[in-house]
Amino acid sequence: MTTLIQNFHNPKIRRQFLVISSGTLILLSLAVGLVFSTTLLKEILMVAAALIAGADIASRAFISLRNKHISIELLVTIATVGALVIGEYWEAAAVTFLFILGAYLEARTLSQTRQVLQGLLDLAPTTVIVLRDGKQLEVDPMEVIPGEWVLFKPGSKIAVDGVVVEGHSAVDESAITGESMPEDKEVGSRVFAGTVNQDGLLKVEATGVGADTTLARIIRRVEEAQDEKAPTQRFIEKFAQWYTPFIIVLSIVSYLITRDIELALTLLVIGCPGALVISTPVSVVAGIGRAAKSGILIKGGEYLENAGKISVLAIDKTGTLTEGKPTVTDVISLQPELQLENAGSSFRSNSRMEFGWDEPQSEVLRWAAIAEAGSEHPLAKAVLKAAKNFGEVPEASDFDTCTGRGVRAFFDGVEIAVGSQVLMKELAILVPEEAQEHLLRLKTSGKTTVLVSYDGKVAGIIAIADKPRENAREVIARLKEIGLKKVVMLTGDDARTAQSIATQLGVNDVLSQLLPEDKLQVIRDLQKEGHVVAMVGDGINDAPALAAANIGIAMGAAGTDIAIETADVALMADDLMKIPEAIKISKATLQNIHQNVWIALVTVTILLLGVIFGKVHMAGGMLIHEASVLVVILNGMRLMRDTR
Amino acid sequence: MKTILRSQELSCPSCINKIEKALTGTEGVSTAKVHFNSGRIEVEHDAQIANSQKLVEVVRSLGYESKVSPF
Repeated sequence: MTTLIQNFHNPKIRRQFLVISSGTLILLSLAVGLVFSTTLLKEILMVAAALIAGADIASRAFISLRNKHISIELLVTIATVGALVIGEYWEAAAVTFLFILGAYLEARTLSQTRQVLQGLLDLAPTTVIVLRDGKQLEVDPMEVIPGEWVLFKPGSKIAVDGVVVEGHSAVDESAITGESMPEDKEVGSRVFAGTVNQDGLLKVEATGVGADTTLARIIRRVEEAQDEKAPTQRFIEKFAQWYTPFIIVLSIVSYLITRDIELALTLLVIGCPGALVISTPVSVVAGIGRAAKSGILIKGGEYLENAGKISVLAIDKTGTLTEGKPTVTDVISLQPELQLENAGSSFRSNSRMEFGWDEPQSEVLRWAAIAEAGSEHPLAKAVLKAAKNFGEVPEASDFDTCTGRGVRAFFDGVEIAVGSQVLMKELAILVPEEAQEHLLRLKTSGKTTVLVSYDGKVAGIIAIADKPRENAREVIARLKEIGLKKVVMLTGDDARTAQSIATQLGVNDVLSQLLPEDKLQVIRDLQKEGHVVAMVGDGINDAPALAAANIGIAMGAAGTDIAIETADVALMADDLMKIPEAIKISKATLQNIHQNVWIALVTVTILLLGVIFGKVHMAGGMLIHEASVLVVILNGMRLMRDTR
Repeated sequence: MKTILRSQELSCPSCINKIEKALTGTEGVSTAKVHFNSGRIEVEHDAQIANSQKLVEVVRSLGYESKVSPF
C-alpha cells in the first residue's frame, strides 16, 4: 500500500494512471451508450472520468492560486465545472482527458529534447582511482586535487582534465569533439574529462577537476545557450503575456453579450497559448542540443538565429583552410660564393645533403635562422625548424621586427634581413632581376616567399608553403551548396600566392596582403554591403575580426577554454567540415522556429475564429489545441536527427 | 546554500512562474530561478530549514519530477 502511495506521488506514474483510467471510463461510457438505451449509466461514467482527471488539474490550479498565480489549470478547471453544471458531461470528460493526455505527452517528448544535456551530465564518472602516498585510492572525482596522478584502466571513463604522464592509449573523444575516430594519446598529450579510455593504461596528472573541466564548461555553455532567449522567443513571450488575459476578458464579455455560457467556457479552454510559447524554445533546445552532439557549441538562440541568416563566410587561410604548419619547400642561393665565416663551428658542422639542402642552400637558411631566432612569426618558425639540424643558432643583436614585412638583425656587425620586397626596398637593398623571376615562379605555385639579404645584398630566397587541408576543397564546395553567397579567403600572403591557393581550393574571392587589423575592416565592409558575415579563425590572432563579425566561429576549441567561453560558435574539433555542419544546423533551426511560430499562430487564429463562429466546441477546441502543441514539439524534435 | 535541481519534464513555460512562486513561498528559500529551456532550477536556500529533499518535494507537488544535480 505504501508503495502504491509512493508511486502515486511520482508525477510521471500518477499522470500515466490518470490518463489511462479516465480514458478507459470515457470508452466504457461510449460503449454503454451504444448498448443500453438509458443514458444514466453513460452519464455517471462520463462524470467519473471528468472528476478523476479534473481533480488532478484542480489540485494543481489550487496550489498555483495559493501562490497568487492564475494558471492554465485554473481556466480548465472553471471550464470543466461549468460544463458539468450545464450538463455537458461528454465535453467535461473530453476536455480534462485531453488536457492531461496532452500534458503527459508533452512532458515525455520535451524530455527527449533535453536528453543531449542529460547525456553530457551522465558522462561524468562517479569514481576515479587516484595515486596518493604510493597507494591506489578510489575517490569521488571532485575530491581529486589538481597535480595528483590519476589512473585510468582500459575501457574506463576519464574523470579529470589532465596531461598523460605514463602509458599510451587510444581515447574516444567523441563526446567532447564530436569526432568518432579515437585519438592516440601518449606521454604529454592532453586528455579531457568525459572521454573514454579504450585500450591502454593511462596515468594522468590532473589539471582540472569537477566544474573546472572542459566537460563542465561545455555543459554550462550548452545550458546557458539554451536558456538565452532568441529574439523570436522574446517577441512571442510578450505576445503570450497579453494573450491569456485577453482571452479571459473576451470570455466574460462574450458571456455578458450573448448569454451563451458554452461559448464563454470554450474560450477559456483555448486560453492557453501553449503551442505559441513553446514553439521557439523547443526548436532552440533541440537545435543547440543537436549541434552539441557534434561538438559544435552555439552561444545561444540569438546566435542560432543569426547563424541561420549567414550570407558570407570570411575565412582566415592560415590554420583553417591550411594545416597551419608552414614548412620550407625551396631554398635558392643567389650568391653561392658567400660564406658565413664567423658563425660558430658547431652551427656549421652538421650541414650535409642528407638534410635536403646543399651547402649554399644551407648557408642561406643559416643566415635566415640567425635573424629570425627571436621571432614568433609562423614563417620564422618554419625557417628555424628547417635550420634545426644545423645545431644551436648563434645569437644575433639588435633585432628589429617590421610587422608584415620581415625582420632585421645584426650578426658580428653584419646586417641580415629576412622579409618581403617591401622590406628590401626600405633598407635600400637592390633585388636583382634573377631573384624577381624566382619570386614570381614560386608565388604562382602558391608558395610564400622571403628574401634573405646579407650585408646589403640579396643572398637567397626561401619559399614556404602551408599545405591546404585535405578536405578544404570539399568544404568550400559544401558551403556553396548549402546556400552561402560568398566565401572570402583572408590572408596576409601576397596576391599571387593567395590566388594560387584560392584556385586550388575553389575559392572565388580572395583578399590578400592583409595585416591583422585589416581583417576587421574587411568584415565591416562586407557588413556595409548588407551581408550577414560569419568569420572563421583560430580565435587568437583574429579576435577583433571574430568579434566584429555577426557570427564568430572558432575552430579546434577543445583545448582553449577562452574560445569555448567567448566564440559565438565554437567547434571543439579541428575539423573544417564542422563549419558547413554548424551553418546547416543553424539554418535548419531557424527554419524550424519559423514553421513552429506559423503553426502556432495559424492554430490560435483558427481556434479563435472557430469558437466565435460557433464551429468549434469545448472538446474539439482542446483537441486542436493539444494537437498543435504536440505538432510543434514533434517538429522541433526533427532537428535532433543525425543529418549531414 | 545554492542547490541545482534538474527536471526533464517542464512542459509549458507558464509553469516557470508557478514553480518559482511555490519555491520562494517555501520557508527557508530565499530565491528560486527556473530556466525553462534547459529544465534547470536554481534555488538559494537555508539547508537547515528547507533541505534539498524538501525542494524536490515542493516541485513534485506541482507535478514535476526533478533531481538534485552537482553542477
